[in-house]
Amino acid sequence: MSDIVMRPSLSDLQQKAYWLALLLLAIGLHVFEAALPSLGPWFKPGLANLVTLLALIWLGPRAALLLAIGRVVVGSFFIGTLFTPTFVISMAGGLVAAVVMIAAWRSIPGISLIGVSLLGALAHMLAQFVTVESLFIQQSLLYFALPPLLLLSTITGWLNGALAGYIAARLEFPNEKN
Amino acid sequence: MPELLKGTLTDRILLLISLLAIAVSWFVVQSVVASGPAVAEVYHGKVLLATYPLPLAGEPAKSFMIEGELGTSEILLDEHGVRMLSSPCSAQRCVYSGAHRHAGDIIACVPNRILITIRGSAESRFDAIVE
Repeated sequence: MSDIVMRPSLSDLQQKAYWLALLLLAIGLHVFEAALPSLGPWFKPGLANLVTLLALIWLGPRAALLLAIGRVVVGSFFIGTLFTPTFVISMAGGLVAAVVMIAAWRSIPGISLIGVSLLGALAHMLAQFVTVESLFIQQSLLYFALPPLLLLSTITGWLNGALAGYIAARLEFPNEKN
Repeated sequence: MPELLKGTLTDRILLLISLLAIAVSWFVVQSVVASGPAVAEVYHGKVLLATYPLPLAGEPAKSFMIEGELGTSEILLDEHGVRMLSSPCSAQRCVYSGAHRHAGDIIACVPNRILITIRGSAESRFDAIVE
């Protein structure tokens, strides 16, 4: 028998611990946002998305994507919406926002966390509407409600990006992956 | 704090493009929905179930039932607009969203696949159109 179990490196364990801490924070914010009074259909301030953005700059694209999925699955479990239409809508919004933020962070020169967050917030709202229209309501008149909600997403996206910039500038994080 | 909110030049260009796109789409939506008499259109999926005029101040309120995917939803039309009185869905977001009267407003019950849209702003002169 020559089973050699390789111990993970300390930095690897550290990265996983940070990812888990961010996931727990994102789940907490997901549950908190679900308890807030609604400003409109499917509209939330996007605080949980802010944690995805922090995971992207600190731990890299893969960690950000996994965090977006994990946050929606575990968060939905806690608020009792797992595998309901709300879960599908949240998952679509969270995933598309994460993918758009990763693409923007990697490919748009001169963009800061504010611009990345802005694009993520807009992508989140658009993905939710497309999901609701194509899978559930199946009525394109639904898009009539989109412009004012996109305006709110623009404002919250900008503010969340500024908040993420403030946090990132003040928290030391080892092995940042840009 | 203001420095924190400024963003880079790229961020501001993205913001400008986003705001322009939103303004144009808002204008297009309003030009489509704001003309004609103020009515509430009720859909189940792609099917238009009924079109009801919105009552003016002093006119009696009307309520009616519609069948959706999960069961029966009750809709109330009064001088404040249209609202969902009850719904078989668990989240009840459609009920809590309250009354809507402005052209372009919607009430959507995703689990029951019911959509109510408001069109028009002028006084209407019919009782109801049921499909």
